[in-house]
Amino acid sequence: MATETARSDATGHLTRDDRVGLLRYMLLMRGIEERAMTLYRQGKVPGSFYDGFGQEAVSAGAAFAMGPKDRLCVLHRDLAAHLVRGVTPTRILGQYMGRAGGVTGGRDGNVHFGDWQLGCVGMVSMLPDMMLVATGMAMAFKLRHEQRCALTWFGDGSTSRGDFHEAMNWAGVQKLPVIFVLENNQFAYSTPLEAQFAVDPVHRAESYGFPGWSVDGNDVEAVFEATREARERALAGEGPTLIACETMRMHGHAAHDDMKYVDKERLEEWRRKDPIERQERVLEGLGVDVAAVRAEVAAAIEAGVEEALAMPMPDGATATAGVFCEGEANVLGDGQAPWSGVS
Amino acid sequence: MPQMGVSVAEGTVAEWRKQPGDRVEADEPICVISTDKIDTDVPAPASGVLVEILVPEGETVDVGTVLARIEVEGSEALGVGRWALEDGTDAKPNGGKRYSPVVARMAAQHDLDLEAIKGTGRQGRVTKKDVLAFLEHADEAPMHIESPYRPEPEPQSPTPKAQSPKPGALSRMRRSIGEHMKRSLETAATCTTWIEADMSRIEAGREQLGLTALPLVARCAIAALREHPQLNAWLEGEAYTVHDAVHLGIAVSLGDEGLIVPVIHDAQELSAEGLGRRIKDAAKRARSGELRPDEVRGGTFTITNPGQYGSIMATPVINQPQVAILDLEAVVKRPVVIDDAIAIRPMTIFGLSWDHRALDGVLAAQFLASLRRHVEAWDGG
Amino acid sequence: MPTMTYLQAISDGLREEMRDDERVFCMGEDIGVFGGAFKVTDGFIDEFGPDRVMDTPLAESGIVGTAVGAAVVGLRPVCEMQFSDFISCGFDQLVNVAGKMHYRQGLAVPITVRLPTGGGFSGGPFHSQNPEAWFMHSPGIKIVAPATPEDAKGLLISAIRDPNPVLFCEHKHLYRRIKGDVEAGAYATPMRARVARDGDDLVVITYGAMVHTALEATEELEGVRVLDLRSLVPLDEEAILDSVRACAKVVVVDEANELCAAGAQVAALIAERGFEDLDGPVVRVATPNVPIPFSPPLEQAVLPSVDRVKEACVELLAY
Repeated sequence: MATETARSDATGHLTRDDRVGLLRYMLLMRGIEERAMTLYRQGKVPGSFYDGFGQEAVSAGAAFAMGPKDRLCVLHRDLAAHLVRGVTPTRILGQYMGRAGGVTGGRDGNVHFGDWQLGCVGMVSMLPDMMLVATGMAMAFKLRHEQRCALTWFGDGSTSRGDFHEAMNWAGVQKLPVIFVLENNQFAYSTPLEAQFAVDPVHRAESYGFPGWSVDGNDVEAVFEATREARERALAGEGPTLIACETMRMHGHAAHDDMKYVDKERLEEWRRKDPIERQERVLEGLGVDVAAVRAEVAAAIEAGVEEALAMPMPDGATATAGVFCEGEANVLGDGQAPWSGVS
Repeated sequence: MPQMGVSVAEGTVAEWRKQPGDRVEADEPICVISTDKIDTDVPAPASGVLVEILVPEGETVDVGTVLARIEVEGSEALGVGRWALEDGTDAKPNGGKRYSPVVARMAAQHDLDLEAIKGTGRQGRVTKKDVLAFLEHADEAPMHIESPYRPEPEPQSPTPKAQSPKPGALSRMRRSIGEHMKRSLETAATCTTWIEADMSRIEAGREQLGLTALPLVARCAIAALREHPQLNAWLEGEAYTVHDAVHLGIAVSLGDEGLIVPVIHDAQELSAEGLGRRIKDAAKRARSGELRPDEVRGGTFTITNPGQYGSIMATPVINQPQVAILDLEAVVKRPVVIDDAIAIRPMTIFGLSWDHRALDGVLAAQFLASLRRHVEAWDGG
Repeated sequence: MPTMTYLQAISDGLREEMRDDERVFCMGEDIGVFGGAFKVTDGFIDEFGPDRVMDTPLAESGIVGTAVGAAVVGLRPVCEMQFSDFISCGFDQLVNVAGKMHYRQGLAVPITVRLPTGGGFSGGPFHSQNPEAWFMHSPGIKIVAPATPEDAKGLLISAIRDPNPVLFCEHKHLYRRIKGDVEAGAYATPMRARVARDGDDLVVITYGAMVHTALEATEELEGVRVLDLRSLVPLDEEAILDSVRACAKVVVVDEANELCAAGAQVAALIAERGFEDLDGPVVRVATPNVPIPFSPPLEQAVLPSVDRVKEACVELLAY
C-alpha cells in the first residue's frame, strides 16, 4: 500500500453546518487555550500549561469524523477532540485550574484528562503508551464483531518509542479497527525531526502492513476526510490506518518554553497557513457570518471562565480516596457525534 | 570555678595547662586558679578529652561558673569547676536490665515487680511466658512466706463491712499458740540482736536455682550454727543440751488460723535445693493439715520469714525449749557505701532473738556475723 | 473433592471464569496453540477458540497496554507474562497507565496479569525473580500470591472478578510439587491472610513458596504459627497484628531480595503498631540483594532454606 496524499473533499460528506461546526470547534479550542494562558500567567493555573496553537485542525477534523460509539485517546494538543465529544468549556477550564469540578477533580493536571462518560481515555505523560490502549480497544471491538473503531493521536517524538512500534505492529498483525493520527508538528520539545528519525513515519506504516497517508494538518476538512475514510476502512475490516498530519507547533512545548530554537521565518511561513484563518476564508466564501460565530464562541468561553472561577478547590481530605474501584467496573460511554453524516 | 575558701566568691583563671583536644587524666592539673593572690592547681574531675575552654586565661568569674568541658568516654561532657556530680544520665532506671515491650506492658498492667520474676530467656531475660507463668501462680497462697519483698497481691474477697462489735472467742489453735508465746516470754530472758547483710549473691544464687531466698539463708544459718553450736540447743529448766544435728523448724503461716512450725530433721545434710524442696513440701502439708505429730516436734533452731509484706525488723519469740530464733524480713534495695562510693544493693536485716539465760550478746552477734559472712560469700554451696 | 496440583488448580479457576463470563479472555505469548510455556492453558483454545485464547506478538508492553484498552471497553483480559521477570518490559503500562487510571480519571481497569514467579530450579537471574515489591510500591495495583492449590484457584477467580488491575503471582516451583484438595466449581477467595498452622510461641509470616519452606522448617518445633499472607496489596494488617499479639515473636520470610521486600513492610507495620506486643526483635530471613544465580550450590546458598528458617525460629524462641 503506497503512501497517498489526501485532499480536501468537503462537498461530498460535509454539510454547510458541518463546515461551520469545524470552524467553531477550532475557535473554541484556541479561545479556551488563550484564555487559559492568561489565567496561567495570573497564577490561577498551577503546574505547566500546554496548548495546540496552530494545530487545531488535527484534533477538530479527526474527532469530527467519529461516531458516538467510537473511542478516543486524546493527547495534549488535541483539545478540540474533547469539545467535539461534548466536554464543556467550564469543565475544561476547571480542569486547568485544578478545581473540584474539573474533569479529573484535581487528580491530574492540564490536558491529562479524558471524560470516560463521553468515550475519551485520559492520557498519561508517557504519550505513546496511549497507542497501545487504543489498539486494545480496537482489539476488543474486533473480538466482539462490533462496528466501531478506536482512534489515538500522537506526535513525531512518540514514534521513537517502543510503544509506537508495538502498537503499530500489533494493530497490523491483528488487522484492528484503529486509526493512528500522527501530529507531525515538526518538533518534540526542542528536538527537530532530523534528530528524531531517519525515515518519516508515514512511510513506515507499510512495513506494519497498512497504509500511511500524508495529510495537510492545517486543512481541517482534509483531516476530516482522511479520518472518515480510515474509519470506513476500519469498519469494513480492512485494518488500521496511519494518518500523518503535517502541521506546526506555533507556541513553545509548554508555556515556559520560548522556542528560541525555531527559525522565525519558518514560523512566519506556517502562520500564513493558519488553519482557523483558512477555514474562515472558506466559509466566508460560502456567505457564513464568521464574526457571529466568533462572537458566539467568545461568549461561550467567557461564560465558562466565570463558572470555572466560581468552582471550589478540592478538599485535601479526599486526596487518598479512589485509588481502587470499589464496586462494579465502569466502562467508557458514548460521546457526542456532531457530524451530520455519522453512521 | 571552685570555692577556694568559705568567703571566696570568685576566682581568676591564671593559666590553662591543657588545650582543647588534649587528653586529660582524672586528678591531673588542668588549670591554675588565682584567688586572693594564692595560685592553686585545679585537678581534672575525670579522665577524657578537653573539648572546650569556656573561660580564657586572665578572666575572673564567680564561683560555680563552668570553666571548661571534658568529654568523658561513654557519657556526657563533665564541667570542670562544678564539683558536685551531676545526674548519672547513663544509669538505666532498672539497673541495666532490658525488658521487652510486651513484658513491660504486662508489668505495668498488673503492677508487677519484674525483679521478682525469674527469667528463662537468653541470659536470664524475663520473657512473656515467664510473666504469664508468674501471673498464673500469683493468686495462689504463697507456699511459705518469702523474701524478697514484693507488693502483696490484691485481696481476693472484698473486706467485710464493719459491724457492731460482737462478743467472740479465740480459736483453740489461737489459744494454744498464745499460751506458748506467753510462756516463752515469761520463761526466757529474750533479747534480740540484728545485723545487716548484703543479699546480692543470695539473690543471684536463688535465681539460678529457681528457689526463694529462704532455703539458701537456711543453709547459711546451718553453717553458722556449726561454727556456734551453742545456739543449736535446748534449755529446759536447768538442763542445757547442745545438739549436734540441726533439726530446723520453719515457721509457716496458716493465715487466720495462726502459725505452725514444721521441723526438717537433720537439715544439716541437705543442700539448699534439698532444703527448698522439703520446706515447700512441709508448708504445703501444713496448710492442708497433713503434718504428722513428729513433724512438728524436735526442732533445735527455728527460722521465721515474714518478709513478703515489707517489714524489715521484728522481735521474734523463741520457740521453746530452743534458745534462739532467726528472723528473715524483707530484702530491700538500698544505697550502701562500698569503697567510699555509693552502690545499690539488696539488703536485709537478720534478727536473732536469743535466751540470755543460755548465752550472751557477744555470741549472738558472732553468730550473726558468721551468718552474714556465709550469706555474702554464697557461691552455690 | 478433587485433588489437583497447584498448576491444575490455576487452569481450573481460569476455565471456570471463562465459562461463566464471556467477557473473560486470555492473552499472552504461546498460550494458544502451544497451551502456554507451563501448559496452564493447555486445551483452552479447543474449548474457547483463538479469539479468547490469544497468541499475542512478543510484546509485554503491548500485552498490558492493549489489555487496558480492552478492559475499559468492557472485556476482562487475563494476561500472562511468560515469566514474571518480563513484567519489567510492561512496567510503564502497568504502573502508569493501568495503576493510575482510576485515581486520575475515575475509570476502572479490570485486568489480571498472571506472573509465573520465583526460583529454586536453576532458572538463573531472568527466570527466577520475585518482582512483587516493585508493584506494591505503585498505587492502584493489587497483588495476590497463593501458596496452595485451593487458594490458587480461589484467588485467581477473585482477581479476575476484581474491577482493578491485579497481579497474580503463581509460584513456578509449586506448579507440580504441591497437590491439594480443591473444591469443584467457582469460588472466590478473599484477599486476606490465612493461618497455615496454628501456634502461640512464635509466628512465621510469609507467602508463596516460602509458606511450604516455613511449614517444613518448623514441623518439629512446638508452638510455631505460620501465617500465609496470600495477599500483598491489600495487606492483611489485622491478621498480622493479631498474630503478633498472640505469639509475641515474629520471623518474616521473603524469597524476594531482602531490601524493601514485602517482608520489610510487614516488619515496619509490626514495629509501629505491634510494638507493645513484641517479646523479641522482628527477625527477617530473605534472599540477599543479589541477582538469583544459576548454579545449584549458588542458588541454594541465597534462597531461604528450610535450615535457615528453622535456625532463625530456634534462636528467637530461645531469646
